[in-house]
Amino acid sequence: MSIVILRIAAALYAGATAAYIVYFARPRHARLATGGAALLSGAFIVHAIAIGVGCAEFGGAEFFSLRGGVVLMVWLAAGAYLLLQRFYHLPTVGAFITPFILVALIPALFGTPGHPELPPEAVRHPTLTLHILSAVLGVALFGIAFGVAIMYLLQEREVKGKRFGALFSRLPSLDALDRMVQRLVRAGFVVYTVALVAGTITATAVWKSAWSWDPQQIVSMVVWILYGALVQLRHSGWHGRRYALLTLVGFVLVLGSMVSLKVVPGVTRHAGDYGTGAPAGGAQ
Amino acid sequence: MSGREIFLVGLSHKSAPIDVRERVALAGEALKCALGELKAMDGVREALVVSTCNRVEVYVAADGDAPARRFFTARAPDAVDHLYVKAGVEAVRHLFRVSASLDSMVVGEQQILGQVKEAYGLASAAQAAGTFFSRLCNRAFATAKRVRTETGIGRGATSMSQVAVELVEKIFGDLKGRAILLAGAGKMGALSAKALASLGADRIFVTNRSPERGLALAEQVNGNFRTWEELPHLLAEADVAIISTGAPTYVLTREMLVKAMKVRRHRSICLIDLAVPRNVDPACGDLADVFAYDVDDLEKVVLSTHEARRGEAARAEAIVEAEVLAFAKERETRAALPVLVQLRRHADAIARAEVERTLSQVGAKLDERGRRSVEAMAQAIVNKLLHGPTTRLKEAASSGDGTLAGAAAALFGIEAEVPRPKQAERREDAPADAARAAASASERT
Repeated sequence: MSIVILRIAAALYAGATAAYIVYFARPRHARLATGGAALLSGAFIVHAIAIGVGCAEFGGAEFFSLRGGVVLMVWLAAGAYLLLQRFYHLPTVGAFITPFILVALIPALFGTPGHPELPPEAVRHPTLTLHILSAVLGVALFGIAFGVAIMYLLQEREVKGKRFGALFSRLPSLDALDRMVQRLVRAGFVVYTVALVAGTITATAVWKSAWSWDPQQIVSMVVWILYGALVQLRHSGWHGRRYALLTLVGFVLVLGSMVSLKVVPGVTRHAGDYGTGAPAGGAQ
Repeated sequence: MSGREIFLVGLSHKSAPIDVRERVALAGEALKCALGELKAMDGVREALVVSTCNRVEVYVAADGDAPARRFFTARAPDAVDHLYVKAGVEAVRHLFRVSASLDSMVVGEQQILGQVKEAYGLASAAQAAGTFFSRLCNRAFATAKRVRTETGIGRGATSMSQVAVELVEKIFGDLKGRAILLAGAGKMGALSAKALASLGADRIFVTNRSPERGLALAEQVNGNFRTWEELPHLLAEADVAIISTGAPTYVLTREMLVKAMKVRRHRSICLIDLAVPRNVDPACGDLADVFAYDVDDLEKVVLSTHEARRGEAARAEAIVEAEVLAFAKERETRAALPVLVQLRRHADAIARAEVERTLSQVGAKLDERGRRSVEAMAQAIVNKLLHGPTTRLKEAASSGDGTLAGAAAALFGIEAEVPRPKQAERREDAPADAARAAASASERT
């Protein structure tokens, strides 16, 4: 059931993406931007329903898989972008965010979630939900920062290379893009920090040790340090191109680690039996 | 009744030198008086005067162009050699093109529409413009708006200082809390600095080798004068630097910029070099977060704007043409309306009289429903009988044929003023048809 609703949401995302892209090509038609925003809001709501129905169906178990994680992340990214849009009136940005959302969601639309299993009861610590939600939201914010950083680099190439073409007139100013990247990185870092703290509390309770050289832990720490450095570098005057490039590197690292850790079985205690020795899907 | 009822007599930057234009140009009270004089002239029904620094045009709804001509000859006898005269649909087209900024010195500039609107406002306040000119002007404004939204005729920068503003906007957004540096006393530099100041910069530094000229310039652009020796220090402070000195060598070298960028902690800087020979080492532009432009770069943008606008102008002309035709057609349909109104009134009167006669005889025997049926029947007969002629009259009118309207009036014995059937020579092309349509349309208010 939830998969059907999710497909409806995906169709709405596709509509929003199309509207934003056509708006980017034909900026004179302002109604396209409004239409894109409306479709995206609709997609966000339908997606929320899909997630709710999914929770009822599987008791939240699907969010322990890569597929479920991506579904959640896409939803939060869409929500974050909608929120962003309220504060900055930059409708051309939509053309750079919505395609990523759509592409990320596509794999989740095919095949059913099967019978996802909840992790063993021992892992289900009260801070676990907070850990998952904040980790996913943090990554979603880094993802949007990634999209905006790409826009910055494209616009910088136009402005610096004296090519005053279509991109030049459509993309926002370098300063606006730079500041948006910075704010997204800062917000993402704060949320990601919450995720690490919640994770540490959970690990201490479940695994009896806060740090166990688990690959997921190591990667998360590297990501946290990297984005922390980005936040810090801003204060020591890092701007523009270098900042945008580092933002790109950071997100590629996040994405790469997320996928590889979930795909390789048994490499991390963030999957399977979650290092408890107990079979997955224990008594609810 | 004259065949053509709207006339334009005027001169513009294309036809007359400035010394003639300035002698006939009018504004404010003088313009109001002139409108009053025009209106008072024999045969002038309505008048409109568009007077800007690039054109003075007199539009009249009259029996001939003589009153409009007199407007010019009374003010400058030698203006005669520079006048253009247009009549009927040609005059309508001209007004539409002027409003849409297709006849401007800088095609697509935005001011002209406001100026025409102002001219119409004055004419209507002076009661020189009536319903015909009201419809005409509103159509012209709507056309101009269509042209602006449906084509890119107003897009792009048309002067170097505009290009500079556009570039700076794409780098910094606005200049709130930022500083502009103006180095050197070139004329273009001061213009650009003023244009950039409109983006909200809160400080303007001015520096020049000779302090006297520098101080004068600082006063002119509302800036603070700093000595020439402070230049490296100013580079660290300012976000936009406009350089236009007469120096034959590079005034800003790569080394200076490298140092300045360190002090700036790589905050972006935009260098606009307006000097020829160049004052900024082109190698500066290779540095990270340094955006450097020279005269050639800016000129290229101006040229590409002009090119793009030429392309858009062709599309704009098509829109104007369509609107002119539509306007002419509408006028012709309107001209046929008096016949229709009379015809309808005539038929309704007959129906009412017959209903009354019938009801006075047999009305007592009928109940309320029956009486209403009789009324409805009479009305239905009138409607059905008139339906065909009405549609055909409208069709004929909109295709520029006035004969049918005259025939209808004669046939039904209506003594309305109707458009005279035309024996005008037939012309092949559609605009010519429209020309006749507009020309023969008469104004009844």
